[in-house]
Amino acid sequence: MSRPIRTMTVAVAALLLATACNSAVGGGSSDKAGGSVRGVTADSVKVGGIVSMTTATGYSKKDTDLGAKARFDRANSEGGVNGRTIDYLGAEDDGQDPAKNLAAARKLVQQDKVFAIAPMSSTTFSGADFLQKEKVPTFGWGTLPSFCGPTYIYGFGGCMVPMPGGTISQTWPEGLKQVTGGARGRSVAILANDSDAGTFAIRTYRQSFASAGYEVTFAKSSVPAGAVPSDWSAYTKEILRSDGGKAPDAVVSVMQTPYNIGLFTALKRTGYDGVLTDPTDYDPALLAKSATKKALDGVHILLSFQPFEQDTPAMAQFKQDIKKAAGKDVPLNMHMMTGYMSADLFLAIAEKAGKNLTVASFQKAANSFSDTGTMVGDRAEPRGRKESFGCGALVQLKDGRYVVSAPFKCYTPIPFK
Amino acid sequence: MSDLLGFVLSGLVSGALYALLATGLVLSYSASGLFNFAHGATAYLCALTFHELHSGLGWPAVPTALLLVCLLAPALGWGLDRLMFRKLARAGETAQIVATIGLLVALPALGLWIVELLADAGVSVAPAENQFGLPGVGPSPAKSWQPVDGVGVDSDQLITWVTTAVVAVGLWVLMRHTSLGLRLRATVDNRSLVELRGMSADRLSSVAWMLSSALAGLAGVLATPLLGLSAHDFTLFLFVSATAAVLGRFASVPLAFAGGLGLGVLQNLVAGYASFADGITGFRTAVPFLILFAGLLVLTRRQRTAGTAAADAPPADYLAGRSWARRWGPWTVAGILLAVSFYTVTTPFWSGLLAQSLALSLVFVSFTVVTGLGAMVSLAQATFVTGAALVAGLLMSHGWPFAAALAAGTCAAAVLGALVALPALRLGGRALALATLALAFLADQVLFQTGLLRNGDTGWAVPRPVVGPVDLGDDRAMGVAMTVLVALAVAGLSALRHSPSGRAMLAVRSAPAAAMASGVSVIRTKLLLFTLSAGIAGFGGVLYASYSTRVTATDFTAMTGLIWLAVVVAAGVRRPQFAVVAGLVYVVVPHLLADHVTESAQLPVVLFGLAGLALANDPDGYAAAVSTRLHRRRTAEAPSAPAGPASPPSPGAVLELRDVRAGYEGAAVLHGVDLAVRPGEILVLLGPNGAGKSTTCGVAAGLLTPFTGRVYVAGVDVTRERSLGRSRAGVLLAPEGRGIFPSLTVEENLALHLPAKEAREAVYTRFPALAARRGVGAGSLSGGEQQLLALAPLLQNPPQVLIADEPSLGLAPRLVAEVFRLLTELKERGTAVLLVEEKATEVLDVADRVAHLSQGRVTWCGPRDQVRADRLTEAYLGAAAPGARRTPRADAEEVPRT
Repeated sequence: MSRPIRTMTVAVAALLLATACNSAVGGGSSDKAGGSVRGVTADSVKVGGIVSMTTATGYSKKDTDLGAKARFDRANSEGGVNGRTIDYLGAEDDGQDPAKNLAAARKLVQQDKVFAIAPMSSTTFSGADFLQKEKVPTFGWGTLPSFCGPTYIYGFGGCMVPMPGGTISQTWPEGLKQVTGGARGRSVAILANDSDAGTFAIRTYRQSFASAGYEVTFAKSSVPAGAVPSDWSAYTKEILRSDGGKAPDAVVSVMQTPYNIGLFTALKRTGYDGVLTDPTDYDPALLAKSATKKALDGVHILLSFQPFEQDTPAMAQFKQDIKKAAGKDVPLNMHMMTGYMSADLFLAIAEKAGKNLTVASFQKAANSFSDTGTMVGDRAEPRGRKESFGCGALVQLKDGRYVVSAPFKCYTPIPFK
Repeated sequence: MSDLLGFVLSGLVSGALYALLATGLVLSYSASGLFNFAHGATAYLCALTFHELHSGLGWPAVPTALLLVCLLAPALGWGLDRLMFRKLARAGETAQIVATIGLLVALPALGLWIVELLADAGVSVAPAENQFGLPGVGPSPAKSWQPVDGVGVDSDQLITWVTTAVVAVGLWVLMRHTSLGLRLRATVDNRSLVELRGMSADRLSSVAWMLSSALAGLAGVLATPLLGLSAHDFTLFLFVSATAAVLGRFASVPLAFAGGLGLGVLQNLVAGYASFADGITGFRTAVPFLILFAGLLVLTRRQRTAGTAAADAPPADYLAGRSWARRWGPWTVAGILLAVSFYTVTTPFWSGLLAQSLALSLVFVSFTVVTGLGAMVSLAQATFVTGAALVAGLLMSHGWPFAAALAAGTCAAAVLGALVALPALRLGGRALALATLALAFLADQVLFQTGLLRNGDTGWAVPRPVVGPVDLGDDRAMGVAMTVLVALAVAGLSALRHSPSGRAMLAVRSAPAAAMASGVSVIRTKLLLFTLSAGIAGFGGVLYASYSTRVTATDFTAMTGLIWLAVVVAAGVRRPQFAVVAGLVYVVVPHLLADHVTESAQLPVVLFGLAGLALANDPDGYAAAVSTRLHRRRTAEAPSAPAGPASPPSPGAVLELRDVRAGYEGAAVLHGVDLAVRPGEILVLLGPNGAGKSTTCGVAAGLLTPFTGRVYVAGVDVTRERSLGRSRAGVLLAPEGRGIFPSLTVEENLALHLPAKEAREAVYTRFPALAARRGVGAGSLSGGEQQLLALAPLLQNPPQVLIADEPSLGLAPRLVAEVFRLLTELKERGTAVLLVEEKATEVLDVADRVAHLSQGRVTWCGPRDQVRADRLTEAYLGAAAPGARRTPRADAEEVPRT
């Protein structure tokens, strides 16, 4: 045994020595490759994306890629940004796997050498620290904490996770006021999944709805998060008795579509005729199925962007761009919008950075960026790293189609306690 | 009250689905000894197919469902059985568990990939993602009724109940009232005996898999409205229904079925009334896994050997005894090359990738401790990784230095490991695997939901350490450091393996009883292994987190742990260096595939699942197979003693063994046995313990293929025929112990051999003792009655050859006499009887001829009247008595020498 150990010790010592020398000499990463800015040439800017497309849960955001492509295509057809066309590589699939998310970020930066990443839309963002360290401007859906704080990471609608010392967006209760005819004397029940995220959602929205003037009679994270319950009576009973034995005026679900279908179906079967609302079911594909159409009929859904049903020049442009990129008429969904607006924010800041595009000039431009009247409302950086832009709308599913029940508007956020 | 009724009724919906899945699990388990982790994936695949055919191609619902359940799903089960399950039935339990885990991910990916391909080919398939509120067999949206105030029922629920009830009745009829059901139940009882009785266990196993698959398909179609198209949810659903299979002890279909129904109700009741647990985030989510864990603890019978998977013999180590350079040279060179490559050839991306795979290798090495050394399948390794990384991150956020946080994280993981091991250790193999899985889910859903530990979705930053002049923030330095750590871990574990404690661990693995007798505490050793393994996993986990520079509670879920195990076992779990290979392959191969082969994310997953197929051939993994296969090729090239042209069989012998050399992996037992039995005679084979008597029986009955030599039945060379072919050729083995199916009744045991009722009645007339107990389970008969039951039906239908391996073992003298009388009767009807016995005195009375077997050779064979006392002594003592040494060969003219 002594010989192998000796051999190994010598080998280890030699290796460590070599490592020490080398990391002293080499090391350090730079965003300059061969004197030029990573991913930027005289006439093009390389951009990549990270999207969870294939997942074991059957939930996919793959149309995010199409949305981004549509926006970049239009930018290129309009001559690019300051004379540079966008070389969009398409999105890497991270499969909702943290390891793959990081690997995708590394691949895009180290192998494909992109200047920026837009869009990044997934349920996990373990590549965030790496992208921040490598100074890669990254644009995506700000529903994860990594979009709040880091200087290179931007949510297209701002940071949508209330952080300590930050704010809560009031779009949901304020929008709902237009449905319930004000908040005075109105009661709401809030239901979420039995998980840490659900508990956090309850904490946030309890404060949000209460400060908008609603009486929160029920707020629990009690629905099992592992699999959709086959029986909702345990939850509906509790909710329907929460307002002093009566049913509350509105039921707010902070859960995913399959749960909402179950909950709302169960509530309607009991004869509940109050307001139902949730933040996830804005997907025109849901209208294609009679079961979902029926289950979600009458439900008010929160959006953090302009509804497709609202007729504005920007929306018309969006629809036209998507159709062109897809090559045919496709049903619209919110993933297209997240991809589109992620790309849009990148383009807007890159435009402002001017002809001399470097990471530094880009960041400088971002630090005083603001515009108004976009499909996600009034954007401003670096404010967006701390809070959401605070704009939203409610749409109602009615007779097999969505109608706007509270038009897109921006509201003042409240401090998060 | 209506609350309660509502909970019960709707609980029966998921209960019915659990029952269908659990029944399928029990069927496939009992047919091939495999716990099919992929059962839920099969259900998902059927749900997906149903969705594509019904919603995509617009086929009508009910015919599509029937086509799926009656045709496609059974075809899938049949195919999988032919391709892998059949072979896996003979592999160790670890290989079995892992192969089906491979399928668990591969089947859904395969389905989705086919959908992708079809979509590319222009077929109007429906998208498989983001599908909610899918139609089932019934009307969509479902019609609903309120029979009692406050209790709602909808059409989907009603369809599930009715279908399940019909299936339950159908299964009962099939299993209890058809001969196919009888044979299936016999296979459940004793697979090898089924083969010895001339029924093809393989074909029965195919039938069981087809049934099992059909049930999964049915559950899939029925669950579509409830679960949608989430492979993940289907698999979770399956794990929960495993509780019901546990309730049926993996053998009883009715118990499993009832258990499934009860489970659904219980789960609903707990969820409905669990308001006491409102303060514990995740409690309600975890209810099914609490039930699974509790069920395993309460219902699993205590195993004789704590926590050990089925004893799988270690593969021969062909490098044993070679020089250090020969054994470790290639690995050392590979390690040094890898380390050097970081500063020479690799690009930054590949440096990172390799560093990542090495960090993961450290985690993977932990499997070689618990599963490789300890033969325990732990599905909770990801929990230890998460636990350690979260603790380390939490401490670093409080300003702890990296080294201290690393140590604390490792300790936390070790403690967690001990906690998981303590209750789990009283369980064996599959139950242990399921228990660790349940605990892993509990940790995910409750422990790691604690805000303090988890820090929301942000998790904790785990910055990379700076050690003296070495800044591990550089991927290359990280890579080299990881290479060194991995090398140390491999060297340390190899040293452990060869240390006294390592030998104690191996002893516990391969022979727990013997280890206990030698003063090794089995429980303590296993606890130590579990703790050590958890510690290593935790250590690797902290380093992996520091590679990613952050850890969140969802980075490594219980499902991740499942896949890790599959990846490691596919490479080989017995040596730590194979785990390193597994780590490299797991991280690197998907990138190579994506860069050079296909853009599809599904194909690599499908390929990975095929590792299960490879395991069916090389149960010790592909890395281990390299040395085994090389060795085999070398030995194949080395000219083995040429068998020479087979000499013709002796005329007159109905069973003949000619110069048979046989034994078990690496150890020959028979060194050239010649035996011939003629019709209508009893040849008694005597010999001391270990002489090779049972091996001879095995060779004669086809349980064992000889290395060299021939076996003839009625002049036909049947050397290559397995037991099924032999028994069909008329050779019947009554194995040592009792050749009966204990769970079947006396009547059913007879019916297997004698389908005609009159023949069975004849047996009852001849043996009134059996007639009196015809409805009784054969297992509860006395030893003598069992032996009679095994032999009695032969009288009605005498075989050409009967090989009776110690039929008198453990019987009272009166019964022995009866058994021997029965054998004599058979002989008189023309059967050639090869009777292996130790009770020489009684047996000589029935023998026509006697053969002495000693040290794997027939030392003497001749007529009974020539048997002398000294030869009997020799037979017992295994050594020639002084006088016997000079036995002239002329005495033994029956022994042909070639």
